Amino acid sequence: MEGQILPPENLTNEAIAERLTTTARKNLETGSIQKKNLIYLELNGCSGNIISLLNGQNPDFEYTLNSMVHLRYSNSLMAAEGEQAIEQLLTAMDEEYILAVEGAVALKNNGLYNIIGSWKGEPLTGLQAAKMLGEKASHILAVGACATHGGVSAAKPNPTQSVGLQEVLPDKSIIKLPGCPVHPDWFLGTLAHLLLYGEPETDNLNRPLMFYSTLIHDRCPRRPFFDRGIFAEKLSDKTCLFKLGCRGPVTRVDCPTRQWNGHVNWPIGANTPCIGCASFGFPDAMAPFISYDTTRVVKDE
Amino acid sequence: MQNIEMIRMQLNHLVTQARYDIYMLSTLNDPSMKQQILQRLWETLSAIHFLSESLASQAMTNNHLSPSQQAIPAGMMNQTQIPPITPAPNTAQSNQRPFTLGELATFTGKNGRPAYVAVNGIVYDVTNNRAWAAATHFGLIAGKDYTQEFASCHTGQQSILATLPVVGRLV
Repeated sequence: MEGQILPPENLTNEAIAERLTTTARKNLETGSIQKKNLIYLELNGCSGNIISLLNGQNPDFEYTLNSMVHLRYSNSLMAAEGEQAIEQLLTAMDEEYILAVEGAVALKNNGLYNIIGSWKGEPLTGLQAAKMLGEKASHILAVGACATHGGVSAAKPNPTQSVGLQEVLPDKSIIKLPGCPVHPDWFLGTLAHLLLYGEPETDNLNRPLMFYSTLIHDRCPRRPFFDRGIFAEKLSDKTCLFKLGCRGPVTRVDCPTRQWNGHVNWPIGANTPCIGCASFGFPDAMAPFISYDTTRVVKDE
Repeated sequence: MQNIEMIRMQLNHLVTQARYDIYMLSTLNDPSMKQQILQRLWETLSAIHFLSESLASQAMTNNHLSPSQQAIPAGMMNQTQIPPITPAPNTAQSNQRPFTLGELATFTGKNGRPAYVAVNGIVYDVTNNRAWAAATHFGLIAGKDYTQEFASCHTGQQSILATLPVVGRLV
């Protein structure tokens, strides 16, 4: 039976993510890999990514915190506050750590539009923190649309002059996980890969291929409707949402097969077009999100 | 009724294909072949899903309508089930149709108008191009000359233009 897999091994996204994290768990228990420190920095954004992360299942978030990594700092989740919290952040820098950043970096007024805490009476800006922590991190993950390219924080007219993390760390290699918010599997899976095998294989925009290699359009269950030119006229229609402005054809990520909220549904499954939140340039380049006055009826020409 | 019989035959064919692919996958060692077969299996499943949905919608219309009205949905089905999108044949005449910038600006893809864009003096139809959902593409709207934009984002990707139906030239 060696080398034979009958029936075929389960190839669903959940099964693959579970195999990855089960291996990580086993290797951590046997001591063949070590827990690493994780600093989770929240900059200029809405904290949507950390909220999304609480939905994580493979592994669940509690396991991530307790067994997979030492979470040394997180604006939202740590008990310490004020200068105590910042002190922990600075202490964590003495050891090796993986840095995960969500939110954009606000540049206006030397970063004063985004202050994450204070140290010895002086405000600590997101800009300072991103530069300081980014320079020393062993690996950097840009988590969510704002961190990868500015996202909603940098949308016009961008009053805070927000930019993606790469702009302030131009020489560092940053693994980019776009999405608004990021799917828990995209972040936790990349983290598990980092612990087990090092940096995952990425595309030319530094997105891990294991999550960002296929177009939504190519895995869309409504694809046959597109191929036959049958288009939805309103949101609840069950046919192809292309004429309403669906961005699935230009968005590279695995939503159709991975699905959200514990793998139960996703935007197109809920009869609303993809708004391209996992594309670089979201949201400005993906607008308008919905159009009704389009090309459905061709009368002349 | 003929429609239903045809859908049943197609479904049977697809199920046979899927069974064969599953058998192939269980015996296969070559990973590159595996990808191709998984891809085909996915497409087969999508087609089965599509056909079962059309069967269900036919069954629903038949249940709700009196026999005299049943002729109508069959006609409607024919109207909506237009064949797969293929580039329109480029006749020499339509290729040569001159457009001024002002004329081009009316082809915005709005209110039933087709969506046209110009690149390097050629006017292309993007009405049904998948990257131009709702006649917009990364913040650009149809009806304009995008020579600069194309050059800055798709340098050396002339193949993109080659797939688009040509409707005329910009004068």
